Order: sequence, then structure tokens, then C-alpha cells
Amino acid sequence: MFVGIDVGGTTTNAALVDGNRVVKTAIGPTDHQEILGSLLRTMDRLIEGVEVERIERVVLSTTLITNLIAEGKAERVGLVLIPGPGVNPMDYRFKTEPVILEGAVDYRGREISPLRDDQIKAAAQRLADQGYRKVAVVGKFCQRNHDHEIHVREMFSKAAPAIEVEMGHRVSGRLNFPRRAATTMLTLATRDHYRRFAEQAERAMRERGIKAPIYILKADGGTLPLDKSLDRPVETIFSGPAASVMGVMALTPEGQTSVVVDIGGTTTDLALILSGKPLLSSKGAKIEEMLTHVRAFAVRSIGIGGDSVVRVSDGKITVGPDRAGPAFALGGPEPTPTDALMVLGLTNFGEMTLARKGVGITAKALGCSIEDAARMIVDTVVERIVDTVNMMFLEWEQEPAYRIWELLQRTKARPQNVAGVGGASPPLVPLVAKRLNAVAIIPEHAPVANAIGAAVARPTMTLSLRIDTERGMYTVEEDGTLGEAKGRNLSLEGAQEMARRLLRERAERFGIQDYADEAEVVDSEVFNMVRGWSTVGKLIDVRMEIPAGIITSWRGEHGS
Amino acid sequence: MAADVHSKQEVSKIDAAERRIEPPVRPARTSSVRKTGLIFFPAFDWAISPTHPEREERLLYTRDQIFEEGLMDFPEIVEYRPRLAELKDVARVHFCVPDVQSQVTEAHLIAAGSTLVLADALMRGEIRNGFALVRPPGHHSMRVVHGNRGFCNINNEAIMVEYIRKKYGIRRIAIVDTDVHHGDGTQDIFWHDPDVLFISFHQDGRTLYPGSGFTSEMGGPLALGRTLNVPLPPGTTDEGILYVLENLVLPVLEEFDPQLVFNSAGQDNHYTDPLANMRFTAQGYARLNEMLAPDMAVLEGGYAIESALPYVNTGIIQAMAGLDYSNVREPDYVPGRFVLTSEMRRSIEATVNHLLTIWESRDDLVAKARQEHGRVYSRRKRIFYDTDMITEGQEETLRMCTECPGYLTVSTQAARGYGRLNTAFCVSVPLFACSSCIEDAREEYEEHKSEMKYDYVYLQEKPSDRFRAYCTRTRNEIVL
Repeated sequence: MFVGIDVGGTTTNAALVDGNRVVKTAIGPTDHQEILGSLLRTMDRLIEGVEVERIERVVLSTTLITNLIAEGKAERVGLVLIPGPGVNPMDYRFKTEPVILEGAVDYRGREISPLRDDQIKAAAQRLADQGYRKVAVVGKFCQRNHDHEIHVREMFSKAAPAIEVEMGHRVSGRLNFPRRAATTMLTLATRDHYRRFAEQAERAMRERGIKAPIYILKADGGTLPLDKSLDRPVETIFSGPAASVMGVMALTPEGQTSVVVDIGGTTTDLALILSGKPLLSSKGAKIEEMLTHVRAFAVRSIGIGGDSVVRVSDGKITVGPDRAGPAFALGGPEPTPTDALMVLGLTNFGEMTLARKGVGITAKALGCSIEDAARMIVDTVVERIVDTVNMMFLEWEQEPAYRIWELLQRTKARPQNVAGVGGASPPLVPLVAKRLNAVAIIPEHAPVANAIGAAVARPTMTLSLRIDTERGMYTVEEDGTLGEAKGRNLSLEGAQEMARRLLRERAERFGIQDYADEAEVVDSEVFNMVRGWSTVGKLIDVRMEIPAGIITSWRGEHGS
Repeated sequence: MAADVHSKQEVSKIDAAERRIEPPVRPARTSSVRKTGLIFFPAFDWAISPTHPEREERLLYTRDQIFEEGLMDFPEIVEYRPRLAELKDVARVHFCVPDVQSQVTEAHLIAAGSTLVLADALMRGEIRNGFALVRPPGHHSMRVVHGNRGFCNINNEAIMVEYIRKKYGIRRIAIVDTDVHHGDGTQDIFWHDPDVLFISFHQDGRTLYPGSGFTSEMGGPLALGRTLNVPLPPGTTDEGILYVLENLVLPVLEEFDPQLVFNSAGQDNHYTDPLANMRFTAQGYARLNEMLAPDMAVLEGGYAIESALPYVNTGIIQAMAGLDYSNVREPDYVPGRFVLTSEMRRSIEATVNHLLTIWESRDDLVAKARQEHGRVYSRRKRIFYDTDMITEGQEETLRMCTECPGYLTVSTQAARGYGRLNTAFCVSVPLFACSSCIEDAREEYEEHKSEMKYDYVYLQEKPSDRFRAYCTRTRNEIVL
């Protein structure tokens, strides 16, 4: 049996899955001051009367990291940059003022100019004096040559031993220096909190006799063993929306194109599944205005939900983004979309007379009947959602392309399904689907789809290998691994073989080797390096991926 | 340049109304939008041949640099997706023999299409300027295309110019060609067009491909002085090129007062370029774009793919987006490394002064040409296609119309070695042609269709945006 638990913004949902069946679900409130407590209370209700020995896997998805950052509880992190030539580093507008060091590495990992030890010492002193206990050291192109970052860390450990240093190349090897800096800072800022949470969660499970492996859900819909995730807490940000998407993947037919609509109290999260593959945000997640390298589903949040305040200004209805309390029908102070849905007989979540009274406020301001006002409120909500979905498809179609095949291959996509999850979705999703000319799907267990998604999600992994045969070296983007690559005449097949081996090793390190064979080559290209009319080497790029997916046993007899 | 855009807008509005073309849209630089539009299309899956300078690897390090800098994430920059230009967009500029399809690959259509995406964004006011960082390049492609010359098949800027003029009713455009090679293709296409100012500065044609671009090349008889060529001595530095910009290009632009300014932005003036001998730096390129402030820049050549392009492109993008570019520098560059000799300086000053004289007397030159040539002007040309080893002979004839720029015919024969390729007769009617030129041009097209003298006969009618191609062997006419 699999357990999935999603600690969301308002509720904590849990589901128990046996083979291809959902055998039990539980829903409880989330207390932001006590994420672990919320998790355990709901889980205890779920596993009550269940033989815990039969639990094979527990998958958690939490808002822990999101909350830490949003509530300013993350730790202060100092930033040391080795930017070299190019953009003025002050133009990046980091939240903290970076210390800039001389020294530079170029795009192929060759040192352009050396570091200066006196500057490093002074930087360590200055940051220590300012009371920093954690410092991110990030160099431009240092993912292709680690020497500068390593040297700075070594000097810091002597000059300021109290400071914990993390290096950019260990967090991400992807191109984009400012994103790498932001991701490294966020990693440092949340890692200790996360580690404490993970340890406590693990202990709590063991105390309950659960011996099964515990996993955490990442923003890209993949699971990672909890103990292997300790170094990479930011990858778990936005795991809530990822859980919903995985839930829809689990509860809808395979291979189709669907819009995932998760309507909550004040926000609606939208995501796309294109021909069975969840759409990833092309460059990485944006966390509190900070652009990062975190691989995440492209989730769009709009400030509209069942409890959003409905107002009338200049004869027009506006909905949200704020919440004044519960719906009028449940004793709240202002009319809400939920009240309008009640008036139209689309839901019965409260007192009808109160709902009519609430919508009556809107009707009076508009000078129309209560029914007409209710229809207009619902139309406004549906319109916002439909517009955003269309915009998301358009943006996907308009994503830049750097190769001819990329440009020619992408065709227009339209949704086949609109799948609603979350509490407020059932009455609204059919209306959205109708406008998009798609089939509305409200899966069984829709309110806890995210917990189901977590329970049945499988691991994901990417591996991006670049081989520079002229320099005789290779780098792996994901963790900045750097090594020697022999053989000038390495073929593409040879490079793919090497990528496969590296991926397997990486999967073993992360305890997900069972899935290594599922990895597919998603992209590979070879550049002949020509200098003075003769070929001096090759640059080979190979990208492999274990894509987001659902555990086999769930798919078992489900089919469509 | 930005001054007085309003009244010029109104002028073109009247033109548009008279000619029943779409009403003009305000060019973006008059609006408050602050974004720079960027299309980066490195065509990682296209090459002329595996070891050719125009190969997959060319923009690889540039990609690494601009992505690593995080430039695409800046709020001042917005990245667009390229699209394919339509065959008609190509036919609006070129006579492709035998047809457009056989002269272009998808890569060419995407490079040209990228400029059109940015042109639309500019004219819709979404961006204040744009940079098409695309390959393959285009500025050596002439009006008639039998093959590839100077790494170019079709002319990206020219296709953009005619697209914008047709779609948005813009009339007066300036193209400044900052590639180290003479922009002979663009010059050929706009040679007779008094509404397109073409200024090219480049390494002296006596020392570099394509061996043209001398001050004596100054435009067709009705467009004299609207083509200005600035040959520069090998070894010219930032100082020399910025001198040309300040003392010739900017004053001439101010007087010409174009509605739009384009930079045909080659990067091979760089001191490390393997195919040329100039001494321009990344800082120089950034400064140039800041001063010129083009509405659009389109990449042309530049083959120092490691030592120059990553830095030059970073600098240009920053300059166009109004970001600080002072930190951009090549690894081996130290300030003061290159000095402009006094001899070079004198030579450049003399060239600039000579060109200013031509510019100032442009109307007199046209008047004189009218007297001299009467009703018809013609010239013969030989054109060599270095990439495809094709030799072309042309006879160009211009109707010296008093009402409009006049229509043009080109008779062309191409050969490869001793093997005859194709012959064609091309009739080009400019966008702002008068009705009698349109009528006479049609007649000439019909006449040549019935003769068997040429393999192909073409009629390029820009006012009606119709492009006809007739094969005399199959007697088949295709209309785009």
C-alpha cells in the first residue's frame, strides 16, 4: 500500500492506495505554525486500523519551503560573486548586495583571469563581521571549471571558519549565472530547517511502526528518497501543485492533453498536461520574485477562488484577489463566487437564504435580479480562468526555438479535457470545459487528488552531459560533475552510452536505480569544432530524462 | 532622429490613403514601451558545409555567454519565437531563379521570418527596438538570386524593409551596414530607391571580399547620394569607426530623417576576426549601437566565434536594451591596445568629407543625371557567386520616370564554368510607382512571356503585392 500526504495552504490531504484502488482518504486543516503536526494528525486518521507493515511507501508533499520563504523565516545568506566580464553584476538586483571578486572563467571553462587571495580574505572578513553564517559562492561559468569556487570556499574555511559556504556548481550546472546564484542562496537559506523537518518526519514515521521508505515530492512531479533530498530542499518547492498534476495524470486517461484546474479558496492553480506529459516551466521556477533553476511544472496561479470577494465598480463585477472570510452562505461578510454558485443551484455548501442575501448585494449594485447577478459573477470567474488557459497555450506555442526541427515540430495544441481537482472545482469546471470545447473531468476523489498523485508518483531524473573532446573533459549540468573524457573521435553513440552510464550512477546515488532503465535520450547534438579549416574536436550535448510518471502498479488494470 | 516623427507620420498617412495600403502604425520608438525584442536563432542544425565558417558551431559560444549572463531574464528584454517567412515575402524583394523554393532552405526562411516577427512587434508597439541574432546572414544577396554568394542566399534586411513598407505604410528607411564586408547585396536591391538610405562602412574593397563599396558607388541616377560607401583602411580601430558614425552617419541620418533605422549588424570588424583585418572591439560595437540607436539590428557576418561573438553580442544586446555594458570586454583586451595611426585618421577624414560633399549635392546629382540619361538609363554588370561558383551577367534598365522612382528591368544570364545555367527577364515595379509605370511594366512582362529568348520571365508588382513567375518552356505562370 502507498500513502500520499499533501500539506497544502488550507488543508492537509491524505490518501491510501492499494494497487490500483484508493482505499481510504482523510482531510484535515493545515496549521502553518506546525506543518509536521498537521501532517501527522491527518496521517494518523488515515492509517487508523491499517496494518502499517503493509505500507510500502510514503510520499510527502509540503508547503514547508514555500512558507519559510514567503514568511521571511529563511536564514540570511551572504553572496560572493565571481562574475568576470559581461553584465554588470549590480544589474541583477539580488535581494542582498553581493561581494564581487576578480577572476574569471570562460564559456568552455578556461580561466581568463586569476582570483586574488587578498580580496577573498577581505570578503570573508567583511561577511563574518556582518554576522553572516551562510555564504553562497557563485562564479560565472564555474560549472565548467570548479577551481575558483573551491578555492574561495577553502580560503573562507580558514579565514572565517564559522561561515558555511555552498558553491554554485554543486547546486546547478545549468547556464544562467544569476539563477544559479539565487538557487544557491535559497538552498542555504532553507536547508537547516528542511533537514530538521525531514529528521522529525522520519522519526515520527518510525515511531508509528512504518518501516517503508519515505519520499518527498519535487516540483517536477518526481519523488526523491527523503534522506537524499536533504541537500536540495528548494526542489521540493511548489510540490503541492505538482501533486495535483500527478493526481490528474493518475485519474485521467493516459496520453491525452488536459488542463488541470485546482480552484481553492482564494487562488486557482492551472497547469497543462500535453499528450500525457506535464508541461515544465522552460527555464525554472520563480520563487518570490526570484528566478531559479528549480525544475518545476509550469503552474499559473490566479487570484480568484471560491471565497474571493465580489465587488462592483463602475457597473462591472470584479472578483478577488482578496478574501474577507468564508462565503456569505457560511456566515461570511461579503458575497463570493461560492454564493453565486449556490444561487444557481450548482453547489449546496451553506445556507441558501444567506447566499441569496449575499448575491443580493451585488444585484443591487448592478440593478439586476439576484439570478442575473449570480450568473454574471460565475461568468466573470469562468472568463478569467478560460483567458488564462488560452494564454498558457499561446505562450507554450510561442516559446523560443533554437533549432529548425524545434520550430517546425511544434503544432497548435488544444485541451481534450479540463480536469478539476480541489474543493471548489466541481461546479465550475464543467463551465470552463464548455467554453474551451473540452470534456470536463471531475475525477472520483477530486478533493484529495493531490494526495493520490503524491502516493503514485514515480521518481524523475534528468542528466545533461556536455563533452568537449578538444579539452578532453565532460561536465554534467545537474550537479556540476566534471571529469575527463578520453578520445577525440568519440561518436554520438559513444556519448549517449556515457550519458546512460552517468545517469545510472546518479540514480544509484539517489536510491532510484530501479527507474534508470526508463531514462530516454530527449535531445542530443554534435558540434564540430573547426579552427582554421580543420576539425580540432567536437562538442557533444546529450540530454536524458526519466520523465514524470505514475507507478506501474497503479496503471495496472486501469487502462482508460 | 526621434524628433518630428509626428509630422512625418502624417505625411506617410497621406501617402497611404492615396495608395490604399494599410494605414501606418506608430513606430514603437514614439511609445513609452521600454523593452528590447530579441530573437536568438542559432540554427544549431544547419550549415553550408561541415567546416564552412557558416556552420552549426557559429553561435554556440554566443548562446553559452548570453544564456549564462541571464540576459533573457532581464525585464528590459523580451524573447520572441522565430517563424518562417512566406515565399511571397522573399518574392517581394528577390527574383529567385528559377523559383524561391530552389534558392532557400528552411533555415533561410526562419532567419528572414525572425526579422518579420520583430518588425511586427516593433510596429505594434510591443518593443522599442529589436535584435535578430540569427543565421544564416543575407547582406550579400542581390535582387536577382541564382545561388549563394558571400554565405548569403536571401537578404534578411531587405525582406524586412519591403514587408514593413507594404504592411505598415512606412516609406523612408535607413539601413546602416556595419559589417566589415561591403553590403553589396543590400546596395544592389535599394540602388534605385530614393526612399531607402543605404550607408555601408567596411574594410576597403581593394583588400577584402567582395571587392566593391567605393565612394563612387552612390546609387542609381534617380537615387544618387542615397547610397553612401565608406571604405576604411585595414586596421581601423573603434576610434576610426566611431568617427565615421559621429561625423558622417549621424548627421546624414538626421537630415534624411528616416521613419526607421536598421543596423545590418556584422561583427567581423572585430580585431580577432579570421576573415578580415580591422581592430574593432566589443566595447566599440556596444557604443556604436548605443549611438546609432537603431530600431532594429540584424546579425550579418562575424566569424571569430570564440574570441569575439560571445562578447560582441552581449555588448550589443545590453546597449540596445539600455543596460550598462561597461563590464563587457574580451579576455585578451587591454584598453589602449589599438591605436589609430595619424595616416589612417587623415584617410578616414578625407573619405568622410568627400562623402559629405556627395550627400549635400545629391539633388543636383540627380538633376544632372536626368539631363544626361533622358528617358532610359541602363548599365551592365557581372556578378560572381563565390560560394556556388556562378558567374552572372546582367543588363539593368531603368525607366527614368518624372512621377515616380521608375520601374526596372533586369536581363540576366548565369553560368557555372562553361555550363549555362538559366536566363531570365525580370521586371520590378517599386512600391511607390506611378500608374503609367505600372502599366508599361505589365506590358513588358507580357511581351517577354511570348518570346522564347529567356527561360524565365518575372513581374514583381510591389504596389499590388503580386509576384508572377513564368516559365517559357512549360508556359506555366505562378502567382505569389
